[in-house]
Amino acid sequence: MINFIQFTMTRAVMAVFTLLIVSLIVFTLMELVPGTCAERYLAFKNTQGSGITVEDIEAEERRLGLDRPFPVRFGSWIKNIVVDGDFGDSCILRVSINELLKERFFISLAICITALIFSYLIAIPVGIISATTKFRSIDTILKFISYLGIALPNFLVALCIMLFMTVYYGDTMTGLFSEKFQNAPWSVDRVKDFLSRAWLPIFVLGWNATAFALQTVRALILDEHGKLYVMAARARGVSGMSLLWRYPAKHSLGPVINSLGFDLNRIFSALPVVALILVLTEAGALLIESLARSNDQQLAGAIIFLLTATIVFVNFVTDIMLAIIDPRIRKGVMGGD
Amino acid sequence: MEISSQQKEAYFTATQFQLVRTRFFANRSAMIAGSILLFMIVISLFAGFLSPYDPTIAGRDKQYENGAPEIPMFWDENGFSLRPFIHAKSKYRGADTNFRWVYKVDTEKRKYLQFFVKGWEYKYFKWSINLPGKKFDFKIPGLTFDTHLFGVDSGGIHIFGTDKPGKDLFSRTLAAIYISLAVGTLGVFISFVLSLIVGGVAGYYGGWIDGIAQMFTDAVRTIPPIPLFMCLAAFAPDTWSSEMRFFFISCLLGFISWPTLARRVRTHLLTERSQEYILAAKLCGASSTHIIIRHLLPSFTSYIIVDLVISFPYMLLSETALSFIGLGLRDPVNSLGVLLQSATRADVLLNYQWYFLPVLVLITLILSFVFVGDGLRDAADPHRNK
Repeated sequence: MINFIQFTMTRAVMAVFTLLIVSLIVFTLMELVPGTCAERYLAFKNTQGSGITVEDIEAEERRLGLDRPFPVRFGSWIKNIVVDGDFGDSCILRVSINELLKERFFISLAICITALIFSYLIAIPVGIISATTKFRSIDTILKFISYLGIALPNFLVALCIMLFMTVYYGDTMTGLFSEKFQNAPWSVDRVKDFLSRAWLPIFVLGWNATAFALQTVRALILDEHGKLYVMAARARGVSGMSLLWRYPAKHSLGPVINSLGFDLNRIFSALPVVALILVLTEAGALLIESLARSNDQQLAGAIIFLLTATIVFVNFVTDIMLAIIDPRIRKGVMGGD
Repeated sequence: MEISSQQKEAYFTATQFQLVRTRFFANRSAMIAGSILLFMIVISLFAGFLSPYDPTIAGRDKQYENGAPEIPMFWDENGFSLRPFIHAKSKYRGADTNFRWVYKVDTEKRKYLQFFVKGWEYKYFKWSINLPGKKFDFKIPGLTFDTHLFGVDSGGIHIFGTDKPGKDLFSRTLAAIYISLAVGTLGVFISFVLSLIVGGVAGYYGGWIDGIAQMFTDAVRTIPPIPLFMCLAAFAPDTWSSEMRFFFISCLLGFISWPTLARRVRTHLLTERSQEYILAAKLCGASSTHIIIRHLLPSFTSYIIVDLVISFPYMLLSETALSFIGLGLRDPVNSLGVLLQSATRADVLLNYQWYFLPVLVLITLILSFVFVGDGLRDAADPHRNK
């Protein structure tokens, strides 16, 4: 048990360290964007009709603390996030990023994680069928469908479904809520409304992820299937489903859990563009908004940081899960049994 | 099945390359995909020769905007012709068409297909660099051609149709394949060099250098690539020329995709380093240079090539996604992403379905890359006995 706690602690420290490197990268990127927050704000004011001078910009920079050296600013950025959970204010929108992101980020997270679960719910049985079927044609067809999932850009799939819906049903299916519930407080009806629309992004993101998951599962089962211990089990008279579930499937569970973090990474990656097409009002769309339209580095940095932090957290959890599930790692971690 | 001793002999004396080649050729789906891929590469290289019109705005056909594809045919109700032809079209609008321009097909008039016609000029090996300062500018004029594979005697022929300003979609698609492949190649090359350096150093030295390099690559790997990509692409100011943008986007693709490859290189080097044959070479007194060049490098070139091919479609997809949202390449440059962007309007699906032809090309291209990559991976795997 002591060993297990020690293992968890090491993993936690490593996760924090990774997060630190990531935040440094993200922060540096934010700094590299041409122009500062102060300039952007004053440029905005300028369009409103009030003239600005160099002194104004300097004063604003002092107010935002932009005149301090890079390490100090990085330190305070991190400190605010870790201690107060505060991402500061958006450069353009002039509102607190926390306020902006609060609900949207969790909606994004819910969509992505549902898509991930959906993809494995399909990929595991289908992958096993594909790997063990006696009919080559079934395997080839499944393989082709999964490749198609990779080759079709998912925004294209989203677009086609959306256009199809518009043309044949008259409802665009865009957005996360219908007009009635757009700004309503959370209620059972609103959740229902949300679910009636959220299936589309979940399906689109999930299909792409399924393609990858399917390949992973298929390759793992195929790999394990040919191994000697499976042959030995077969020689002892174990066969059919019980052979499959007791040996190769169980064995493949480890790598599958291990890859969850990167699958989530891939889904996050696909999210912004899909969100743009489907006019979702969540974090992914906000990211595009903040980058492509307005160059809002503060907001973009916060979103990327949050997404990456989620992945780091998932990786941490899967590491711990692996240590609990896989006896090889468990023995290594806990010593003996 | 009886295997003759000659075949056995050939199998055991075959080089690694020969084995990979034989296994790859035996894989039917990979071979089909490979031929399609080769075809795509060739037509993209001869894009200028094959496309009847200039893919940029200079080649627009004012007489045929948003025009449907014109498929050359050999016969119509007026009889058969050995030389393929298309029907002439005339622009018309009136009260019956709600005052929208429509094109009327005139089945009486034929436009015959001509081969090796003179047309717009295209250049090969043209190279000009504009760096700050006049001294560094240099220009290679290159070779100019104006012969094209096909055209028609009068008016235009648009086998993929035209877009809103009247640009020929077929020519644009060819140019787009070339640009997309070029972006991908440059990106793959940059990521290859980076991963070889980082992965190579980490794997060869091991120890704490390896630890730090691993920490860093893993951290980069956890950041979702497309958001990071968008973040970086937002740096490119609008004032940049299209060539500059093209180069910048390729570099970004390379900079973002190196960690996966670096990890592979490192893992491979670490495992190979402790193999018996390396030990044997060391015991024979071989120097490290000799070991690296003669043993380590050949041991993983096939893996690296496979990895590069596998990572290629993701480069294309990233480029497409980026251009699609408007952060990647932009209009004067034709890339598959740029072409996709124009297919996103609802009226396209209803009225101008031929805008989706470049999309089909993109899907075919990526699918063939995936299949070839898969076939190569299977073929290069030495543990696969066949």
